[in-house]
Amino acid sequence: MAAAAPARAATLADRAIVAAGEAGGALILGLFLLAEDWRLITAVLVLCGAGFALLELRPAIEERIVAAFRRAPATALVLGAAIVLAYPFGMQGNSYALHLLVIALLYAVLALALNFQLGSANIPNFATGASYGIGAYASALLALEFGVSFWLTLPVAAAVATVFGFLLGFPSMRTRDTYLALVTIAFGIVVHQLLNNFDWTGGPNGLVGIPAPSILGHSFARPIVILGQRVPAQANFYYLALALVALAILAARRLHNSRVGLAWNALRGDELAARCQGIDVVWYKMLAFAVDAFLAAFAGSVYAAYVSYISPDNFTFLVSVTIMTMVIVGGMDNSFGVIVGAFLLTLLPEKLRIFSDYRLLFVGVVVILFLVLRPQGLFPQRPRSYGAS
Amino acid sequence: MAAPSPLLETRGLTMRFGGLVAVRGIDLALGSGEVLAVIGPNGAGKSTLFNLVSGLYRPSAGTVHLAGEDITGLPAHRIAARGIARTFQTSRLFGDLTVIDNVIIGMHARTRTGVLDALFRPRRARAELAAAAERAEALLGLVSPDLLARRHTLAGTLPQADRRRLELARALASGPRLIMLDEPSSGMDDRDTDALVEDIAMTMAERPGLSYIIIEHDMRLVAALPGQVVVIDYGEKIAEGPFAEIRRLPRVQEAYLGHKATHA
Repeated sequence: MAAAAPARAATLADRAIVAAGEAGGALILGLFLLAEDWRLITAVLVLCGAGFALLELRPAIEERIVAAFRRAPATALVLGAAIVLAYPFGMQGNSYALHLLVIALLYAVLALALNFQLGSANIPNFATGASYGIGAYASALLALEFGVSFWLTLPVAAAVATVFGFLLGFPSMRTRDTYLALVTIAFGIVVHQLLNNFDWTGGPNGLVGIPAPSILGHSFARPIVILGQRVPAQANFYYLALALVALAILAARRLHNSRVGLAWNALRGDELAARCQGIDVVWYKMLAFAVDAFLAAFAGSVYAAYVSYISPDNFTFLVSVTIMTMVIVGGMDNSFGVIVGAFLLTLLPEKLRIFSDYRLLFVGVVVILFLVLRPQGLFPQRPRSYGAS
Repeated sequence: MAAPSPLLETRGLTMRFGGLVAVRGIDLALGSGEVLAVIGPNGAGKSTLFNLVSGLYRPSAGTVHLAGEDITGLPAHRIAARGIARTFQTSRLFGDLTVIDNVIIGMHARTRTGVLDALFRPRRARAELAAAAERAEALLGLVSPDLLARRHTLAGTLPQADRRRLELARALASGPRLIMLDEPSSGMDDRDTDALVEDIAMTMAERPGLSYIIIEHDMRLVAALPGQVVVIDYGEKIAEGPFAEIRRLPRVQEAYLGHKATHA
């Protein structure tokens, strides 16, 4: 298996597989984003389904692809970066497609945040949407009431949400599994109700006119023009959200491949046995809540600045459930899978609008079909590899 | 000349669950490098005793001292960090992780990387994990070369005998002063049990300073162990001594075979 394979230099075949994988992924996403015809949309979905079925039937193919990416990390990184940086320019000035990408990226951050809990440590936290809201409101209020620069509100909002994350973690420590889920659901509802009822949060009307950030005199509300190429203003937030996703992936990788990630995995597997290995279960659970809240608040800040109008209804229980579905469908404890899950569940309802009233039904059917094809999620957790071995 | 304090000492250890007394006033003393077997019928309170010493339960009364330090009522992870490792009657491995991950998790108390180190000093975190992986491989090689060869498979897919070995390796990984084995032979056939006895004897020879407490039902295994035997029945210690003497005591035979059988 791949994990046991000796680390050797990348071959040309490895590089070709990496290039084909990344280009193919980008192409399928682009096709799906720009498709208007329902037949094309259905065809892309069927193609993806066939791909997943093939991976499930022939695990060797998946192993080969993973091995190629592990052996040629530099190629994967450089090519991947080039593709995602150039991506807005391939959207033919379609600002709706860019908008969907921004939202998908923000959900990817939220799903990665929840993955620390649900994927790594099996903590069913239904309050990620609330942390997202706390971040958005903290950032927006600072900008509106005190004229604080967006870049400064980012860390402050994250800190505020982290404190709330710890607060939520505290009562949750005495409960487990289903009961823990109930505590987090209650927390999410309390946050939603408070945002709805406080005067200083604008009540049900929310906050309006949140200023767009600017960098070096370039306002994020203006389009980007590079070498005569013009892309809509959404591209600014695309790059901002992209940076956030990169940050989240980096944090996820580093934590996963460390003693902390192992401790989380241990308490996911068997809490009692974890305690007997010297793992402070209470601390590691609190930590998972804090990391989740921290990242979710980042996404919230960017969201508030992006749409410039937030209300309590942006951060309901349903948002938390959606994020949880992304993690489960994408693949627990697999960063790439979680991101795919976020994109799938953000784009599907939008692209299936043709079916108008039936669209959510179709979203459900597609998700169930994908889960039937890949019961462990689209890209399940993979064993760690130890390079030295 | 004052005798040095034993490695592990319990005095009057008692555990009540509501009206039920699971463990009553148990005194144990165990020196460095010694082996103690704990036997007794089902439900006698042996596993409860382990849970008290390893900190999963907080005793209703009595004390536990490790090398003279009072560890009574400390949380389990602190007791593990002080050098008491254990296995479980029904093995509790991290089944969805690889064999080597299981052993590295056993080293949790001996490694230091915190969340900030992992995020901002990745080089250091990686180096620590790589060193841990190397030590884990050495340890697996010691316990079972077969297990070493399968280090990248998921622990949940191992056969029963290998699961026991892995639990032993994980317990050893913490560099403990005392290992408590809860019925290591349960669910194994005679051949596997013999192999297990060899493994245990080998680790004992390899780490002479390490102490063991072993709960066991298989009398062949108990007979093969060096050291004292403690017999527990209805939560109380009813006998203590070398196995050859213990097995002849009427009270012990009664506890094991029933009142009638011994008087028939």
